[in-house]
Amino acid sequence: MRVLTLIVDFVDRRLGVRELFDKELRGYLLPRNVNVWYTLGAVLLALFGLQILTGILLLIHYVPHADQAFASVQRITNEVPFGWLVRLLHAVGANVIVIALLLHMLSVLFMASYKGRREFTWLSGFGLFNLAMALCLTGYLLPWSQLSFWATTVATEAPGAIPVVGDLAREFLRGGATVGGQTLGRFFALHVVALPLALLGLIGLHLFCVKRRGISPPPFGSDYRSQELPAAFVHEEHRGGIPFFPNYVVKDAAVICFFLALLLGIVFFAPNLFFPPAAFEPADPFVTPPRIKPEWYFLWAYQTLKIFPSELIGLGVQGAFMTLLALLPFLDRGPERRPAKRPIFVTVFFLGLLVFVAISVWGHYS
Amino acid sequence: MDAPSNLPPSRRRTFLLILAGGLGALLAGAAGWPLLRFLAPASRGGAEQAVSVPRAAVAAGTAHFFQYRGKPAVALQLQPGEYTALSAVCTHLGCVVQWQEATGEFLCPCHGGRFSPAGAVLAGPPPRALEILPVVVDGDQLRIG
Amino acid sequence: MNGRLRSLLPLLAGVLLAATPALALAPPETVCIQCHGGQAGPLGDPAREWPGSVHQRNGISCHDCHGGDPADYANAMSPARGFIGVPAHDRVPEFCGRCHVGVLEDYRQSAHGRKVSEGGAQCVVCHGSHAVREASLDLINERDCSRCHDYGRAAEIRAALDETDARLAGLGEGFERLRRLGADVEPAKGKLFDLRNRFHRVFHSVEVDKVRAETGRVQAEAALLQAEIDAYDRQTARRRVWGGVAVGLLVMLGLVLLQVRHTYADEERRG
Repeated sequence: MRVLTLIVDFVDRRLGVRELFDKELRGYLLPRNVNVWYTLGAVLLALFGLQILTGILLLIHYVPHADQAFASVQRITNEVPFGWLVRLLHAVGANVIVIALLLHMLSVLFMASYKGRREFTWLSGFGLFNLAMALCLTGYLLPWSQLSFWATTVATEAPGAIPVVGDLAREFLRGGATVGGQTLGRFFALHVVALPLALLGLIGLHLFCVKRRGISPPPFGSDYRSQELPAAFVHEEHRGGIPFFPNYVVKDAAVICFFLALLLGIVFFAPNLFFPPAAFEPADPFVTPPRIKPEWYFLWAYQTLKIFPSELIGLGVQGAFMTLLALLPFLDRGPERRPAKRPIFVTVFFLGLLVFVAISVWGHYS
Repeated sequence: MDAPSNLPPSRRRTFLLILAGGLGALLAGAAGWPLLRFLAPASRGGAEQAVSVPRAAVAAGTAHFFQYRGKPAVALQLQPGEYTALSAVCTHLGCVVQWQEATGEFLCPCHGGRFSPAGAVLAGPPPRALEILPVVVDGDQLRIG
Repeated sequence: MNGRLRSLLPLLAGVLLAATPALALAPPETVCIQCHGGQAGPLGDPAREWPGSVHQRNGISCHDCHGGDPADYANAMSPARGFIGVPAHDRVPEFCGRCHVGVLEDYRQSAHGRKVSEGGAQCVVCHGSHAVREASLDLINERDCSRCHDYGRAAEIRAALDETDARLAGLGEGFERLRRLGADVEPAKGKLFDLRNRFHRVFHSVEVDKVRAETGRVQAEAALLQAEIDAYDRQTARRRVWGGVAVGLLVMLGLVLLQVRHTYADEERRG
């Protein structure tokens, strides 16, 4: 204990870490009515951390080459001690992250937390969501299974429907006319270096935005105040609120534990939940397996493309929807945040959620 | 699990934090062990055992089949005194190849894959050559592996 | 600000579009299927029967047996490109035997094989041709065998094979289940394929004694394969126990931490 104090003293005298700790963590006050949905950010940080750790471990044995990728993953799951665990944690963890991301985004939408000059927070968060999707997509190819190969073929086919530059865009994504060793190379570089770096940077920006502008209080209860913002920048403070450390951190930690329990529960008791049979066959460019489906979180997009008469229209609808979502804080500018006072928005919210689920289920069974 | 609520919160908290620390230590141990095993250097015991075959069993122009690390293998004497050993498992679907004395080739009875005495694919569906096993002449024995 | 935003839209949409999947492509077709698929009657039947066959599933197409050029309309059926049409009744064994060499050997020595030039049953009489399925014991049945002869001896052979064949089929399902859990079952499946193949070869000799003798050997090897499956299942069960413990610990830790949160909440209420 004494040694620890000495070390902290040493650092503190040079960097003033105690002051930083007191101001930024102990003195970081959250609204008194903050609810459980506010823990999802911490959950996502923890899960991304786990992905980075397991990802580094997998890199020790993974071989990013079309001839050896599948065999190297087989070796990881069958020969390397606990390789099966690391691999499953990484693959299932990606799915749990998508669940947490969706919950985080839905809670922000429902509580209209993007309001009050928080456009940058929303945009950086939306960017993070898309980066996570891109990480999922690129990571999907790396095991070089039949599922990897054909799901990627299907996914990289989409940009081909764009007029004029479609073919070029598709070939650029694939690094060739079809998915092959070239695609594996570029997806590997994206998945392992480029996208994680971008993700870390954007996480930093997102956290900075959250802290700089001040956390948006839940729009419930008698504490709710509709804010008139002055012309200049304001930092929203919550005087008399709950200290982030240690009062709220323990709740963050508790919810992180529950999410990890969910992850381990799937890993040990339903390891096949996210793996169709084609995930266990090596990629074969000459044999398309029957009923190849994208992952559950891309099913909505897959099915929208099938609903519309032309792929271009389907793509346009998807693009329009995602753009609308990205620009929501610029379009929905009223100060009112209470769900009860925003019947139209809440109706659209639940209808949209219902449509998303319905289209995904339809896509799964079609 | 709930501590008596008439205790002051800070007392309850001390108890709960000790409990949490214990659980956390258990979990850290449970996470640390797989990590350590994952990173531990690969062990090289057992699996590397060589197999001995008497030279007399491998007459010139004939093939001698034997078990090598749990899989069928075959030894040949191509020229007098010159031995080779191959895995006898066809690379197509795992059938055991047969030696054709008349043609001096291996033939897989399942789908007609043919291999040269050196293991190379001559015809048929096999995707790869037969695996070559290292052979050392050791007195009147052949040591394989 | 609005104008600048609008100019960003196409860029943003492009990025988003890149991350959404589209529909699959149709697989390429040989000229054989393209022509014959459209024909009515016996000339079109092979193209309709072949999809779903064991050959189609393993990527064996028309030209692999019938020769010819599957990429050239004009010369698809040219004898110069190795085209073989329909083999005569007694030439079928050598036609199929080009690939199925082991079976051919046993068949040649059997009562069926010795009488093939007098109309004895050959491969397609029992297995069918283009719609051929994975061989199974169901091929030996009263209706089919008694097309040519009395079912009695065939029934005896089938009875001798029944248990072992069911056991091999069970092993196949077992390994498929393990494969779906990520196990590397290729070596074991190879052994099973070899075993099954050796066993099925013996059928063709249509001799009860030979079948019985081989059955013993096959059963012994099947027991070894079953042991591999059992070992894997024991390992999975062991892992589940540890997984259950870890999940339990995490839930407990989560609940304790929530209680810690309550102690803070109590203090926050008191002020």
